[in-house]
Amino acid sequence: MKMPTKSRMNALNFKTIFTVLKKELRDHLRDRRTALMIFVSSIAVGPLVLIGMSYFISSIEEKAEKREVFVQNIAHAPQLANFMARQDFTVKEPKPDFRELIGQGKHDAVLVIPNDFTEKFVTGKADVELVYDDTRQDASAQSIGILRRVVQGFNREVSGQRLVARGISGKILTAVEIQETNMGTPAQRAAMLLFIIPWLTLIVGITGCMAVAIDMTAGERERGSLEPLLMNPISRVSMIIGKWLAVACYGMGIVLLLLAGFWATLTFYPLPKIASVVTLSSAQYLGFAVMLLPFTPAIGSLQMLIATYGRSFKEAQTYVSYLYTVVSFIPVIAMFAQLKDATWQLFVPMLGQMMVLTRILRGEHLEAMHFLIPLGICLAIALFSVTMLTRLMGQEKIIFARS
Amino acid sequence: MIEVRDLKKSFGNVTAVNGVTFNAKSGAITGLLGPNGAGKTTTIRMIGTLVGIGAGGGSVSVNGLDVATNADAVRQTSGLLTDARGLYIRMTAHENIRYYADLRGIDPAKSEATIARYVGWLDMKDILDRRTDGFSQGEKMKVAIVRALVHEPSHVILDEPTNGLDVMTTRALRELVKRLRVEGRTVMFSSHIMQEVAALCDEIIIISKGRVTAQGTTNELLSMSGKDNLEDAFVALAEIDAEHAHQTQREAALK
Repeated sequence: MKMPTKSRMNALNFKTIFTVLKKELRDHLRDRRTALMIFVSSIAVGPLVLIGMSYFISSIEEKAEKREVFVQNIAHAPQLANFMARQDFTVKEPKPDFRELIGQGKHDAVLVIPNDFTEKFVTGKADVELVYDDTRQDASAQSIGILRRVVQGFNREVSGQRLVARGISGKILTAVEIQETNMGTPAQRAAMLLFIIPWLTLIVGITGCMAVAIDMTAGERERGSLEPLLMNPISRVSMIIGKWLAVACYGMGIVLLLLAGFWATLTFYPLPKIASVVTLSSAQYLGFAVMLLPFTPAIGSLQMLIATYGRSFKEAQTYVSYLYTVVSFIPVIAMFAQLKDATWQLFVPMLGQMMVLTRILRGEHLEAMHFLIPLGICLAIALFSVTMLTRLMGQEKIIFARS
Repeated sequence: MIEVRDLKKSFGNVTAVNGVTFNAKSGAITGLLGPNGAGKTTTIRMIGTLVGIGAGGGSVSVNGLDVATNADAVRQTSGLLTDARGLYIRMTAHENIRYYADLRGIDPAKSEATIARYVGWLDMKDILDRRTDGFSQGEKMKVAIVRALVHEPSHVILDEPTNGLDVMTTRALRELVKRLRVEGRTVMFSSHIMQEVAALCDEIIIISKGRVTAQGTTNELLSMSGKDNLEDAFVALAEIDAEHAHQTQREAALK
């Protein structure tokens, strides 16, 4: 059943829009705790992501450059020590409790030389112990490989020499020789992480609008302020647009703060490592803004629509969190499915934004459609939500049913 | 003047209002009395344009305007207070009231004067500039009522306004209602408490199970029921065979 809808109920009234917008903005900015949390967290995302990435990149670079191995008892194996020195490896004494530390993932793999190494070496029966934990991916994973390669290299050299001493060429031991060429620079590996920047930016934008969108819809129902509000002879669609614009202001404010956070970090905080991966020109910032500014209001309108079905803030929060989960997982699924950039993705909210933002970061070529299609989709979402909201707010089950 | 004619409303299988007819005169207080679930709130919401009148659902006119076809005009001339009296807790009492005045497009100077007048009547000076978070029931009620009257409606409809209020606030509210009558406005006032309605109303309409079972002044109702106290009269009149009452009422309306 609908409320009587004769006369001006659906005509746009700019004064109503403005009055509602002004009230909602004032009302929600007074909710200092929520506002502060939203704004502080959005400005903090940039620094946190960039500093985190910078540390990650330095740690891969460090490991790639590092030529050091942990060997216990190296004094008992002068031949091996000599080989390592020639290979430009620095031999380091492991910590006394290294076995325990390796188990905890806090120590690189260790090569243990037994005391009788030299005696056995002469007779060709020497052995060494390699201590590692292969369930650990972090500290020891790379060091195991290095130690294995060093010992194998040593073996090849010694057995070659021994064969030569018997009049046979050492080459006989190697049927195929591997020449390694690693094309992946640390910077290229870090570029995988570029996924995180657009993803977090989009997620924070969506999260930021949530509280406001719910309070304006389900919150009104829960408080019992929706019924008297609708008793006023105002255009319902204008009221909805006013509310939506308030959500949009919030969402766009969050986006601008996010970008400000990235800009401030890149400008004022010296992160030399990040510069090899992320450098943002003003055109790239502009590209980000053009993609993000319509996106948060569109998702915000959808959040308002879904939240309206909730009789209380809590109920609405549950409904909206389903939307949130779906939207935030879209890019993750796309990543695991290893989707290649394609035009159809531009039509999928979130996926399109992810694709374009990542391309902006990589400095790849973009055409007008990369901006226009997502913008059109955002407009369509907002238009749909506002229309549906206007209809819903006229329904008795929404106006009167309270928790 | 509010004219209600053969009003009907069902929600699914539940019939909330089943042929209610009455008049509420200008310059008078009309009480809508009935037990819980009698259909008072639905009737009031239909008068207030919040619930639509379906085909064959009868008619309501406020100040000569048909509610079904002139909803906006009716909203301009009537002030409605239902049990949904939610306020915005982060805004002051004054801001809550002004929001509605601004939505209605009332000139600020005019709305400020109106607010000042009601604030004086209801003794709200101390709370006017406080945020409504933590307001008592009575304080919330005062804000909600000024908010509903900020456009100076000629028709005032109050749905169980004294529910949950203390004696002081109830008394202030009754004084307000009497003042509205003096100003010549049409006041409708619903309650389930006989004494309250009797103390205030010029005409009482008793509703039970979605139908009007009796109507008249306090004395008329007492003599109609043959009881000597109000409570017994109310119980007796509310339990009158609804079908029979409907008949008599129709006849009375036709006269």
